[in-house]
Amino acid sequence: MLERQSMMLFKKLTARSSLLVVMMFGLFTVMATGIASAQDAASIPTDPAVVGAGKTLFDDNCAVCHKVHGQLLGPALKDLSKRRDVAWSKAFILNSQKVIQSGDADAVALYEEYGKLEMPAHDFSDDELNAILAYIKDESAKAPEVAQAEEAPAAEEAVQELAGIFDNKYMSIILAVNLLILVLILIVLGLTINVLTKYLNEKAELAEEDRELASQRFDFRAMLASKPVVFFVTLLFVTLVTKTVLDGLFSIGVQQGYAPTQPIAFSHEVHAGQYEIDCNYCHTGVTKSKNANIPSANICMNCHSTIKTDSEEVQKIFAAVENNQPIEWVRVHNLPDLAYFNHAQHVKVGGVECQTCHGEIQEMAVVKQHADLTMGWCVSCHRETKVNAEGNPYYDKLVEAHNKRSKEPLTVEDIGGLECSKCHY
Amino acid sequence: MNKSAYKILNTALVCALPVLMFSCRAKDNYQGLEFSPNMYHSVAYEPLKQITDKEAGMWVSNRADGKGEYYNSNEFNPHRMNMREPVAGTVSRNKDGFLPYRIKKDDWETAAKNLNPLPDNDAVLSEGEILYGKFCQPCHGLGDGQGPVGKVMMGVPAYNKGRLAKLSEGHIFHAITFGKGRMGAHGSQLNQKERWQIVRYVQALQQK
Ligand code: HEC
Ligand code: HEC
Ligand code: HEC
Ligand code: HEC
Ligand code: HEC
Ligand code: HEC
Ligand code: HEC
Repeated sequence: MLERQSMMLFKKLTARSSLLVVMMFGLFTVMATGIASAQDAASIPTDPAVVGAGKTLFDDNCAVCHKVHGQLLGPALKDLSKRRDVAWSKAFILNSQKVIQSGDADAVALYEEYGKLEMPAHDFSDDELNAILAYIKDESAKAPEVAQAEEAPAAEEAVQELAGIFDNKYMSIILAVNLLILVLILIVLGLTINVLTKYLNEKAELAEEDRELASQRFDFRAMLASKPVVFFVTLLFVTLVTKTVLDGLFSIGVQQGYAPTQPIAFSHEVHAGQYEIDCNYCHTGVTKSKNANIPSANICMNCHSTIKTDSEEVQKIFAAVENNQPIEWVRVHNLPDLAYFNHAQHVKVGGVECQTCHGEIQEMAVVKQHADLTMGWCVSCHRETKVNAEGNPYYDKLVEAHNKRSKEPLTVEDIGGLECSKCHY
Repeated sequence: MNKSAYKILNTALVCALPVLMFSCRAKDNYQGLEFSPNMYHSVAYEPLKQITDKEAGMWVSNRADGKGEYYNSNEFNPHRMNMREPVAGTVSRNKDGFLPYRIKKDDWETAAKNLNPLPDNDAVLSEGEILYGKFCQPCHGLGDGQGPVGKVMMGVPAYNKGRLAKLSEGHIFHAITFGKGRMGAHGSQLNQKERWQIVRYVQALQQK
C-alpha cells in the first residue's frame, strides 16, 4: 500500500518535476533575457549630470521630431530601453538608414509604419549616445507634462467675431427702429389731417371756398402727368441708359473682373495670406524675366509632400507629378500680342508692389483680374510714378541732367515711358 | 402694327440696351466681349497659355493653316505645350561665371567640402537675407524652424542647435539644391549665386 502510494507519488512527482523542469527552463530563459536586458538597460547611466547633458542634446537634435511622452513626427520614445536593446538604439540614432537597409525587421517595420520618413543621421560619440538614452530613460519614469491648453486666443477671436456681428446687427436694428418711428409719425400726421378735415366739414358756418379747400383731394395722377415731372423722369432715364451703355462699350475688350475656375482649387488667401509665403517663392521669374511664371508641380511638392496629403485637391498635384503631366492652369491676365510688358522692369528695377497692379491677391481665394490692363492704365501710371533711382547708378547721370532743367522729380514719362515703341514693336 | 405696340417695343429696346451692354463685362469664367479678336489672340506661341482646340475662334479666323484664330498650342512638344524644357544637359551661359554644379545628390561628403565663391561682405549678406525671407522663412522662420508653414509641417530644425549649428557652407548649399529628408529641392527656384548668398545668411543664423 505504502509502496504503491509512494510509487504513485513518485510517478506524480516525476511527471510534475518534468513539467517543473520545462517550466523552470522556460522561466530561466525568460529570466536570462530579462537579466540580459536589465543588464543592457543598466548600462544606461543614471547620473543626473549625464541626464542633464542628454536633455540638452535631445532638445537640440531630436525635439523637433520626438517627444518622450507622445508621438510627434517620430514615435514616442517612452520606455525605449524596454522595447529595444541599447546597441540597436545607438545604431538607429547614428544612422537609421543603415539599419533599415541592413534588413533589420524591427527597423523596416518602423520605417514603413512612419510612412518611410527618414530620420536624419547623427554624428554622436558613445558618451553622447549614452547621455541621450539616459535622458529618455529618466524622462520615461516621470509623469507626462500636461499640455497647456492654448484655447484662449481662439476664444478671444471668437468673442471679437461675435462682437463684429453684433456691431452690424445693432446698426441694422437702429436703422429699423428709425424707419418705424418715421412711419409712425406719418400715420399720426395722416390721422390728424383726417380728423381736422372731418371737423371742418361738420362745421356748417364754413364758407363755400373754404369748404372746397378743406375737402380738396390730392390728385396723384395729375401730378405724375405734369410736364416738369415727365421731363425730369425722362432725363433721368436717358442719362442712366446712356451711362450704362457707354460703360458697357468701354468694357468691351477689357477683362477686368475675369476670375476663371482653376483645375485645382488653389487659394492665394491660404498660401500668400495666411501662411505668408512670398509671391516670389512660387512666381520665380518675377524679378528676373518678362514673365512672372506659374509654379510647376515640383514647387507645390516642396510642401505638399507632407502637408494635407489626404486632401482631394492636393491629390491632383500628386497625379500631375506621377504622370509628368503639367497642370493646365487657366491664364487670367492677357495683354494683347501688340503690347510688351516686363515684370522684372517693374518689380525689380521699378520697385512696384505686386498689389498695385494685381490687387490684394493675398486675400483672393480665386485670382481675379484687378486692373483693367488698358493702355490708359499703363500710361497714367507712367505719368505719375517717380523713377526708383535711389541706389541705382544706371540713373545717376539721368537724374542729374533732369534736375538741371526741371524741379519736378524724375517720372517714368521722363525716361521715355510714353514712347509708343517702348510698349509696341 | 399699331402705334402703341410700336411704342412699347421701342421702350423695351431702350431698356434692354443697358442690360445687354452690362452682360459684355468679364465675370467669373466669362472673359467678356472683345472687339477685333484678331489683334488680341496671338498666332505666335504664347508662353503660359495653351488652347488645344483647333476649332476655337473659327468664326474670325483667316489663318493660312485653316485653324481657328484662338488655337495656340505646339503639337510637336510633349503635352502639346508651347513651352519646352531645355535639352537635358544644357548649360546656361551666365554672367557670374558659375560652372554647372555637378556633385551628386547623395554625395554629402564631397558637397560638405565645397566652398562659397562669393566674397564675405555685407552686400552679399543683405542680398542673402532678402532671398532667405522669400524662400526659406515660411518654413524656417528666423532660423528657429517656427515659420507659419514650418509649424504645420513640423520637424523643421533650428539652425543654431545641435548638429545643424555645425553644418558647413557646402553642406547647406547642397541641402538647398537637392533638399534633404522632408525638405524639398529648391534648386529650380534659385540659381547658384542666389543659393550661395542665402548660405551666407544661414551661416549668420547658425551663430545666433
Ligand atoms: C526629422 C525628424 C527626426 C529627428 C530630428 C529625429 N528622429 Fe528619431 N525618428 C524619426 C522617425 C520618423 C522615426 C520612425 C522610424 C523611421 O521612419 O525611420 C524615428 C525613430 C526613432 C527611434 C526608434 C524608435 C522606436 O520606437 O524604436 C529612435 C530610438 C529615435 N528615433 C531616436 C532619435 C534621437 C535620439 C534623435 C535625436 C538625436 C532623433 N531620433 C531625431 C524622426 C526623427
Ligand atoms: C504657393 C505658391 C504661390 C504663391 C505663394 C503665390 N502664387 Fe500666385 N499663383 C500661383 C498659382 C499656382 C497660380 C495659377 C492658378 C491661379 O491663377 O490661381 C497663380 C496665379 C497668380 C496670378 C494670375 C496669373 C494669371 O494667370 O494671369 C497672379 C496675378 C498671381 N498669382 C500673383 C501672386 C501674388 C501677387 C502673390 C503674392 C502675394 C502670389 N501670387 C503668391 C501660385 C502662387
Ligand atoms: C511653402 C509651402 C507650400 C507650397 C509651396 C504650396 N502649398 Fe498648398 N498649402 C500649404 C499649406 C500650409 C496649406 C494649408 C494646410 C492646412 O490648412 O492645414 C496648403 C493648402 C493647400 C490646398 C488646400 C488643401 C485642402 O484641402 O484644404 C491646396 C489645394 C493647395 N495647398 C494647393 C497647392 C498647389 C497647387 C501648390 C503649388 C502651386 C501649393 N499648394 C504649394 C503650403 C504650401
Ligand atoms: C506694373 C504692374 C504689375 C506689377 C507691379 C506686377 N504685375 Fe504681374 N502682371 C502685370 C500684367 C500687365 C500682366 C499681364 C502680362 C501679359 O499678359 O503679358 C501680369 C501677369 C502676371 C502673371 C501671369 C502671367 C505671367 O507673366 O507670368 C503672374 C503670375 C503675375 N503677373 C504675378 C505677379 C507678381 C507675383 C508680382 C509681384 C512680385 C507682379 N505680378 C507684379 C502687371 C504687373
Ligand atoms: C503702377 C505703375 C505702373 C503701371 C500700372 C505700369 N508701369 Fe510700366 N513702369 C513703371 C515704372 C515705375 C517704370 C520704371 C522702371 C525703371 O526704373 O526702369 C516702368 C517702366 C516701363 C517700361 C520701360 C520704360 C523705359 O523707358 O525703359 C515699359 C516698356 C513699361 N513700363 C511698360 C508698361 C506696360 C505695357 C504697362 C501696362 C500693361 C505698364 N508699364 C504699367 C510703372 C508702371
Ligand atoms: C506704357 C506702355 C504703352 C505705351 C507707351 C503706348 N501703348 Fe498703346 N497700348 C498699350 C497697351 C497695354 C495696349 C493694349 C490695351 C488693351 O488691351 O486694351 C495698347 C493698345 C494700343 C492700341 C489699340 C490696339 C487695339 O486695337 O487693341 C493702339 C492703336 C495703340 N496702343 C497705339 C499706341 C500709340 C500710337 C502709342 C504712342 C503714342 C502708344 N500706343 C503707346 C501700351 C502702351
Ligand atoms: C517647405 C518648408 C521648407 C523650406 C521652404 C525650406 N526648408 Fe530647409 N528644411 C525643412 C525641413 C522640414 C528640414 C528638416 C529635414 C529633415 O531632416 O528631414 C529642413 C532642413 C534644412 C537644413 C538642414 C539639412 C540637414 O543637413 O539636416 C538646412 C541647412 C536647410 N533646411 C536650409 C534651408 C534653406 C537655406 C532654405 C531656403 C532656400 C530652406 N531650407 C527652405 C523645410 C524647409
